Amino acid sequence: MNKRLKRLALSAATATLMTIGGLSPAMADTVLKFISWQTDDAGTGEWWHSAIAEFEKQHPGVKIEFTKAERSSYADTMTTLFAANQPPQIVHLASFEFQMFADSGWLEPLDPWLEKDGIDMTGWAGQKTCEWNGETVCIMTNYFGFVMAYNKKLLDEAGVAVPKTYDEFIAAAKATTKDLNGDGIADQFGTGHETKGGPGQYLTEMLNYIIDAGAYWTDKEGNITIDTPEMVEGLTRWKTVMKSGISPVDMSASDVRKLFADGKMAMRLDGPWLYGTTEKGTAKSDIVYVAPPLTPPLGGSSNVLAMPSDIPDDQKQLVWDFIKLTMTPEFQRSYATMGGNTPPSPKADVSGVEKTIPHFPVLLQTMKEASEKGIDRVPTGLELYYNEFSKMVMEESQRMIIQDLDPAEVAKTMQAKAESIKG
Amino acid sequence: MTDTVQAGRRKFFDLARPSRQHLLGYILIAPAVLMVAAIIVWPLILAIDLSFQQVKIPRLGGASRPFSLSNYTWLFSSQEFWLACWVTLKLVVVVTAGSVAVGLSTALLVNNRFKGRTAARLGMALPWAVPEIIAVVIFAWMFDTSFGLFGWLAIQLGFADQMIPWVSSSTAAFWAVAITMVWKGFPFVSIMCLAGLQSIPSDYYAAAKVDGASVFQRFRWITMPLLMPVLGVTLVLTLLWVFRDFSIIKVLTGGGPLRSTQTLSIMTYDQAFQYHNFGRAAAVGVLTLVICIIASLLMLGRRSKSIY
Repeated sequence: MNKRLKRLALSAATATLMTIGGLSPAMADTVLKFISWQTDDAGTGEWWHSAIAEFEKQHPGVKIEFTKAERSSYADTMTTLFAANQPPQIVHLASFEFQMFADSGWLEPLDPWLEKDGIDMTGWAGQKTCEWNGETVCIMTNYFGFVMAYNKKLLDEAGVAVPKTYDEFIAAAKATTKDLNGDGIADQFGTGHETKGGPGQYLTEMLNYIIDAGAYWTDKEGNITIDTPEMVEGLTRWKTVMKSGISPVDMSASDVRKLFADGKMAMRLDGPWLYGTTEKGTAKSDIVYVAPPLTPPLGGSSNVLAMPSDIPDDQKQLVWDFIKLTMTPEFQRSYATMGGNTPPSPKADVSGVEKTIPHFPVLLQTMKEASEKGIDRVPTGLELYYNEFSKMVMEESQRMIIQDLDPAEVAKTMQAKAESIKG
Repeated sequence: MTDTVQAGRRKFFDLARPSRQHLLGYILIAPAVLMVAAIIVWPLILAIDLSFQQVKIPRLGGASRPFSLSNYTWLFSSQEFWLACWVTLKLVVVVTAGSVAVGLSTALLVNNRFKGRTAARLGMALPWAVPEIIAVVIFAWMFDTSFGLFGWLAIQLGFADQMIPWVSSSTAAFWAVAITMVWKGFPFVSIMCLAGLQSIPSDYYAAAKVDGASVFQRFRWITMPLLMPVLGVTLVLTLLWVFRDFSIIKVLTGGGPLRSTQTLSIMTYDQAFQYHNFGRAAAVGVLTLVICIIASLLMLGRRSKSIY
């Protein structure tokens, strides 16, 4: 009797488990993982949430799990996930970090998907960056141009006009750098640069001056072009800015933006994302956005969407549907209206955006200027070695500043080291 | 017959029998051993295997690359590696010495009877209780070049005429890291030393006093020899902590400027996640492990037995 009961209970348990196991896949929602550093960014985060809501409405039973990973550790997180064979289905990467994943063959070529849906990418800003070994491996989500925001009150108090050239910019920055309480420490700065956010950000900050001096790291063929008189001038300018005390030292991007937004800094060269911070700052009413005095404006590709090459086909179709949704003219418009970003699509209707974001025409203007001049933060030919290259440039620039080295010598050293990195 | 077999089986599995008790011990520790093997030994084997492959980003379950010594060849000929070794050695010596000096002093202090001793003991242990990352962020604010407390104090006290570039000067950055690590590390030494001090019988001190021994003599001839067993182990543990610590340096200086604070652990991270050279990163990691084992053996091995 006992044995019979035991057998019966065992059979019942087995049957129950099998039933639950068999039913569960059909009952469960399909979940697509989407990791990003922009989940709670002012404006842009809301835009992603709106795209996810629309996608889920169009695809009942499919959920997108939108998770935040900090930007500072984002590349590490994605590298770990890909290495562990657990990449998110929707891949969001910075435009200077997707190359390693593409080179390893982990990103799905998107040309067949674009072709199948008859999507024409002509005129899509920065899309060329997404081509890797002749294949389109991502869709450019954001291509931006730098603007200059200035604090009108601080410039007026110092009696200086809005700068139009590098020399005027330096003069205005010096005039607005002040020790307000007389303790021997500057409390108000002319401008500000982030030098604590890692090599990539360091390079971006110094590029403003390098490009204005007519220099760049490589030419269009990928040859290293650092040891030039223009680069020496660019490095000299960077050294001047960092040694003259017009910028606070060793600050993170958020600290610099906060200082500016709270009226402790007169001018800031930055991308469209500065607006989110200045809108929350105490000096909001004094801040004006104009085209930067350094030309052409620094600009470039920012971030991309892609999909892993080894996920099931049905998931690929869903991921593609999501990417396609973000590319529609409606969402490209809301990318501007909600996020204050410059949408890369040439078909995006951005009329009237200036009613909510007054400086939007300046953003568009600098984006177009940077795009026409082919400006990008990632130098051609060094895409795979960008981290190593940017670290080398940062270290040599720091050495120049700390040890007061001649920029001409530094340019020679950088040239040799960059050629060695490229191999 | 069947009954005899079953009785035999019961006898064999009777773990209560004195001759079978060792089996029970093995069975009880088996889950822990398996867990340790899974989370320590297996990754260690993977890392050693990876260090002998020329691989950029590995993939779990992916095909192995051919055996190669290139990562080690690169490492030994790389100036960066030797610089990282030198920085690590400097930091280990400075932080371990600093932690022991401050830790032992505070332990001796709070071992005495005085009013507010409980509060002093609590205050002494507080840095240990603060999560490392929070402590480092607070220190990063205090070391801030533009608005930091330490720079302001240096000006106010007349030690400097301008703010000290803590993070953009090679020497200042090294000391900023070392000070933060000593602050975070000394409570452990204090607690261990305090436990050691309390185990020394008070009769020894009373007898020494009767014999006319001074405070210094009592410390030199009673406290130190009897504290040595505890201090030796504490020294090794502190040394290993400094060797492997990553978050303090990463948050405070990122290994810069000019690699003046780039230790072996920061170099491992940079090679893996910045340059995507996992093979080289594994080689640095394996060598770090070897150095740690040698250092521990030297301190706890035969040569140092005399201190116990």
